[in-house]
Amino acid sequence: MDQLKELTGVIENSYVTAARAAGRKIVGYSCLSTPREVLDAAGIFPYRIKALGRAETEMADAYLSRFNCGFCRACLQLGLDGTYDFLDGIIETNGCDHLRGMFENWQYAAPRPFFHYIRVPHLVDQDSLEWFREEIELFIAATNKHFGAGIDDQKLQAAIDLQDKIAAAMRLIYESRFNNEIKVFGHEIIALSVAEGSLPAPDFLDLLKTFTGELEARRPLDCRARLFMGGAATDEIELIAELEQLGGLVTADSFCFGGRFFLREASAREPVKRLAEMYLNNLLCPRMFMSYPGRKAYIVDLIAKSKADGAVLFHNKFCDLHGIENVKLKMDLEKEGLPVLLLEKEYGAGADIGRMKTRVQAFLEQLKR
Amino acid sequence: MNNLNGTGKAQTTGLFSRVHGLFSVLKKLPDSLSAEELEGLIKVLPADSANSMKSLLKPSIQQASMPFLRMLIAALDETKAAKEQGYKVVLAPFNFPPEIIHAFDKLVPITTEVLTTLGVISLEGQGERYWELAMGLGLPDHLCSANTIDLGSMLSGMDFEPDAIISGCIGSCDVNSKTHEFVSLLMDLPQIALEKPPDNTERGFSFFKKNYYKMIRQLEELAGEELNDEKLRAVAIKVNRCTELYHDLWEMKKLVPCPVPGIFSLFVCATRFSMWGRDEGIKTLEQCLEVAKLNFKSDDYGSREEKARVLWIYLSYYYDLVKFYDWMEEHKISNMGDALQWAFPEPLDLTSRETILDGMIRSAWNNVMTRQMGAASMSQRWIEDIVYIIREWGVNGAIYCGHHSCKQTWSVFSITRNEVLKRTGVPTLGLQGDSWIRSMTPMSVIQEEVDQFVNNVINKRGRRKRRRTAGAAEL
Repeated sequence: MDQLKELTGVIENSYVTAARAAGRKIVGYSCLSTPREVLDAAGIFPYRIKALGRAETEMADAYLSRFNCGFCRACLQLGLDGTYDFLDGIIETNGCDHLRGMFENWQYAAPRPFFHYIRVPHLVDQDSLEWFREEIELFIAATNKHFGAGIDDQKLQAAIDLQDKIAAAMRLIYESRFNNEIKVFGHEIIALSVAEGSLPAPDFLDLLKTFTGELEARRPLDCRARLFMGGAATDEIELIAELEQLGGLVTADSFCFGGRFFLREASAREPVKRLAEMYLNNLLCPRMFMSYPGRKAYIVDLIAKSKADGAVLFHNKFCDLHGIENVKLKMDLEKEGLPVLLLEKEYGAGADIGRMKTRVQAFLEQLKR
Repeated sequence: MNNLNGTGKAQTTGLFSRVHGLFSVLKKLPDSLSAEELEGLIKVLPADSANSMKSLLKPSIQQASMPFLRMLIAALDETKAAKEQGYKVVLAPFNFPPEIIHAFDKLVPITTEVLTTLGVISLEGQGERYWELAMGLGLPDHLCSANTIDLGSMLSGMDFEPDAIISGCIGSCDVNSKTHEFVSLLMDLPQIALEKPPDNTERGFSFFKKNYYKMIRQLEELAGEELNDEKLRAVAIKVNRCTELYHDLWEMKKLVPCPVPGIFSLFVCATRFSMWGRDEGIKTLEQCLEVAKLNFKSDDYGSREEKARVLWIYLSYYYDLVKFYDWMEEHKISNMGDALQWAFPEPLDLTSRETILDGMIRSAWNNVMTRQMGAASMSQRWIEDIVYIIREWGVNGAIYCGHHSCKQTWSVFSITRNEVLKRTGVPTLGLQGDSWIRSMTPMSVIQEEVDQFVNNVINKRGRRKRRRTAGAAEL
């Protein structure tokens, strides 16, 4: 799909350019815990900060260190070199220590006019939910104050409904891989997730409809082995594509640019409370504590449904959260009889691709595929 | 638990057991050793242990180091005895104030990083074998050695098992909290989570307070006893004595030259992390203060040269006490200690159970690392503390040790260095190394860099004025 390729190949895509020309405000966020409906309801274009596999970090390295994750350094680089100058604001979240550092340095060295920090709890319990609900209220108040947005329950509910439709459409495409005949590559799912944070919600819903239509006409893909992939935030579509070319088709993933973003289960009706539940309860990220059993169960279920023959778990060098959790996950998945490959990688490092391909190739051999 | 080595030969070659074995021997030492006796002792100890004991027990600080060692022995003995007495051992990270656990009859606290440091300074081969055991599980090499060494030993199945783990770093250090969670999952131990939100306001504090009270209820359940008001009060009184002594030592550090030996920063933080609110902790701090006063009153104090007053703005290096603390002393560099002693304790209000607990919660909120890295802005609070301390103690050089695992401090080090220079004129040297693993950066390299920094940067900027503060003069 050419449109998808175009959208995920550049940071400032045609939608961004059009929004700027129309005087529409664009606000950047990075973590999945950011309730983007608040920005939607404000008529603001929420743009998910990404680096699309770019490896340049020379300006960022003057702020973040070489001991910080390459993804955060690459994003900061784009913030400092002017690529993200189209952002009218930035939303910080405490996703991890690296991400916090990225936002602090960005705001220190190249501040944007609007900056708001959403403090996301690390636990899921009643007090944490209440805290997060208040955080969303504060986020709404700050957005209203700065942009004169006039967000109300009605607008919020409309934004929630639209995102629900997107999630449902996305889930259909994602789960189509659970069938015996697969028509969509894993890297395309990543590309769709990347695109989701690159264009306004109604436009993305249109894109999903077009994509779904095109899928109908496709022939089933050849598949040497069915793989589950999980781990750190990766928007490196090309990397996953290169690995899939070896014959291991990704039939499910738990990436935050991937299978995590359309999980939206919530029971509350009141919009802000619903958002709090939706975003905190479904945040299947190792930055959450006391909830590993839930994450594991979700992944085990995904693996079963997608009939995966093996799992590949990534983490970027210096990512402690995924680096540690992947080890436990590997132990547990192996107990379930699933072969697992752990891959530590440098973000966006083309030079690393040969090593990665060799490891995955060897893993496919191990799977006897 | 899952005994990972599957041999059933647990608890003989683990870090805790070996440290306890060695310290059981040290327990038999007299209260003071002459230089000759010390030399004799060092000869019979393995090289790595001998090196540390040479520094720890040198006559000039022995008056404080003996109670310090006895304090650690007491902590180790209690942990070991707890199992036999049916008490529960609670493992916590260094930023978790242990006094609340001391207030329970049936709970014993033990601190991961204290155990690692004891292993590194006292065992032959330091902590390397335990680090390698953890790496053998597939864990990444960018973890924190301060927790991984001790936890690697536990995971090997060769060591004692705690009964619960407190995750006290949620919000202030990912690697620490995640490593502790990993161990609790693997060993099937109850995990008690204490989250601090990155919010410096009263709203943030009241959320933290709720979390702390939840933790108390979990501790009560674990212990099978309710937190007793009388015991809490008794501990609180001793906490206040520790706090008082901490501030007296703080005042002494304002004097030029600094009469407080650099290694006392290690004594103070080990006390804060393990025996705060206990008689043994009080005794250690009292003797530290006593030695500092004796230094101040000694005949040669006025003629002592002080080339620089150096502050380690996060961690120090703990794997070679002689080449770190003693070397700086020999080179006339006053080591003003590191951020591990920036606990900023305040006296507890003893009026009621609520006021005592409120004070303890405030202490936990303000404790080392939690206060800086768990703040709304990691750099802002850290910078404010560094600037305050530089001004309080007349520091003229700052050093960041650059432990590769400290992703949070590394991520804001650049801002911090710039701002500290801008606000105080004090330069910061950035090093790289592992504070607990000697093979990462040899101490000779660190010495060379510190030496060049002191001679070529600090001393070219001019010397600090000699001063005595009113508070210190009264001591």
